[in-house]
Amino acid sequence: MKTIVLGVGNPILQDDGVGLHVIEAVRKKHLADPDVSIDTACTGGLNLLDMIRGYEKVILVDAVTREHDSPGAVKRFIMQDAASLHSSNPHDVSLAEALSLAKELGETQLPKEIIIIGIVVRRALDFGDQLSKEVKRAVPTAVRMVLSELKHT
Amino acid sequence: MKTITIDPVTRLEGHGKITIFLDNQGDVENAYLQIPELRGFERFAQGRRAEDMPQITSRICGVCPVAHHFAATKALDAAFKVEPPTAAKKLRELLYCGYLIYDHILHFYFLGGPDFVVGPDAPPGKRNILGVIEKAGIDVAKEVIKHRAYGQKITAILGGKATHPVCGLPGGVSKGLVNDEVKDIKDMVASCHGFAKFTLGLFDDIVLKNKAYVDLIRSDPYTLKTYNMGLVDKHNKVNFYDGLIRVTDQEGNETAKFEGKEYATHVAEHVEEWSYMKFPYLKSIGWHGLHDGKNSGIYRVGPLGRFNAADGMATHEANKEYTRMADTLGGKPVNSTLAFHWARLIELLYATERAKELIEDPAITSTHIRNPVGEPGEGIGVVEAARGTLIHDYAIDNNGLVKRANLIVATTNNAGAITMSVRDAAKGVIKKGVVNDGLLNKVEMAFRAYDPCFGCATHTLPGGMPLTVNIYDHKRNLRQTISRS
Repeated sequence: MKTIVLGVGNPILQDDGVGLHVIEAVRKKHLADPDVSIDTACTGGLNLLDMIRGYEKVILVDAVTREHDSPGAVKRFIMQDAASLHSSNPHDVSLAEALSLAKELGETQLPKEIIIIGIVVRRALDFGDQLSKEVKRAVPTAVRMVLSELKHT
Repeated sequence: MKTITIDPVTRLEGHGKITIFLDNQGDVENAYLQIPELRGFERFAQGRRAEDMPQITSRICGVCPVAHHFAATKALDAAFKVEPPTAAKKLRELLYCGYLIYDHILHFYFLGGPDFVVGPDAPPGKRNILGVIEKAGIDVAKEVIKHRAYGQKITAILGGKATHPVCGLPGGVSKGLVNDEVKDIKDMVASCHGFAKFTLGLFDDIVLKNKAYVDLIRSDPYTLKTYNMGLVDKHNKVNFYDGLIRVTDQEGNETAKFEGKEYATHVAEHVEEWSYMKFPYLKSIGWHGLHDGKNSGIYRVGPLGRFNAADGMATHEANKEYTRMADTLGGKPVNSTLAFHWARLIELLYATERAKELIEDPAITSTHIRNPVGEPGEGIGVVEAARGTLIHDYAIDNNGLVKRANLIVATTNNAGAITMSVRDAAKGVIKKGVVNDGLLNKVEMAFRAYDPCFGCATHTLPGGMPLTVNIYDHKRNLRQTISRS
């Protein structure tokens, strides 16, 4: 199955960039496979949609903020169950909105499955390129979860 | 006005919050918009390699990576005392046009436009692109998606990478254009030009032919008489990439015109205890609180700021639209906040016309695209981001490392005006203690016109900007909370 693993985050916003750190580690552990692309993105909504168009399966690795989980927890979501979860900013639409728009327009190249590996973080408000201790410790777990997703494709 | 003690309000960490204080009549005494500001960039930048700044700063904002990229690149040109070759400047400007094309299309159809196209009183669930499709039709939506993607593609071809360009270097750019790319860009630009004209026609049909909307645009709660600021070329026409910063007053007279590097002589920043945001103002007038009018140094930037600060647009068709907008809205300066939307569409048309000029220029394929740099020092770079004047100010040490970096971003330039617009919109919908249902809509329309980018560098899930309004009575008791996530 044509698959893309996409780390999403901002490299200069501390824990926000954890998805990028996970991807770096996945690249080292995952053997080259012509069906699997591995990439990173510091963007959301429509741009993200452009990046996942044409793939059957998408594994998004991203920071998530959740009230009831502590930083460093790693969660697996399926996009359909998590319509409220999305990567966006106030100037863009969310990925979920971008997807429903694309469906509305009759696009046929949309992924069949979107898995989100979410690492729980506290929202960062200060610039920095280091991860917090808790979130750094979560990286290997997230990497394992991504590799296990790839095994089942 | 009574002195306000802002004890229920703490400086904000987290989501967007509007705090409204009522007086003892139940009318709005004051309103504050608080937005999470990302902090510590100056410290973060210290000690980094100067040539990395265009890449690093393009991550500050998820909305204007291209604007930051080139403000940084221009600051480096100045710091390394190098003038880029003509072709490099044209390539940068062409890339910049691509950015304006996708950014302005996105804003009109996805963010600001739905308020008009679907209607200001429609439920929020409908005031989005899907509501626009319902109203304007699926074929229009396909064109929207296509042309936004063209803008992105133009920036990707020229910038070497989608969304975050990697081409800007002190003294020029790292990547030129080959003939095949020129042809692709020409075709896309031509199509975008047609689409820009179509969009202005749509604005005409849906907004300008509807008296209720025109009345709303011209209504008091959406009017602010501030100074205006924007970059202009030597004929005082709007320019995004280069030129002098011009300031005009409430009658449209020029009050200042200066080079970007002199900004600190003209602009200072005021700090309010309730916000992390800084409030820039004109030094010559001074800070006299959150008021408009001649005696307040607050100014506006962005499409309407540029519209008022300039004498016209540098391209033919956009200039015709410029004149039409001024005539329709009672002459310059246009002080109607909601007219930002119209000015933005005129800029979209300009960007396609200017892109056409640049891509048809034979010099665009020149291979002389970089000049050697000199010794590092201090440098300031200014561009017009889609949402207003953006200033990067660096000092570089002898080893080429950043000693000091100061940034004034577009939304900060608009901070005072946005706060006043939010307050005035709230005043319009809260009377004698009765809070009209449309409060959130009306307030959102007020700040959305500016297309602000608040702390938007974050991509953390869930995204978006949940908005909460807290209304306090005159005894500072919380009366009502309205929120939308």
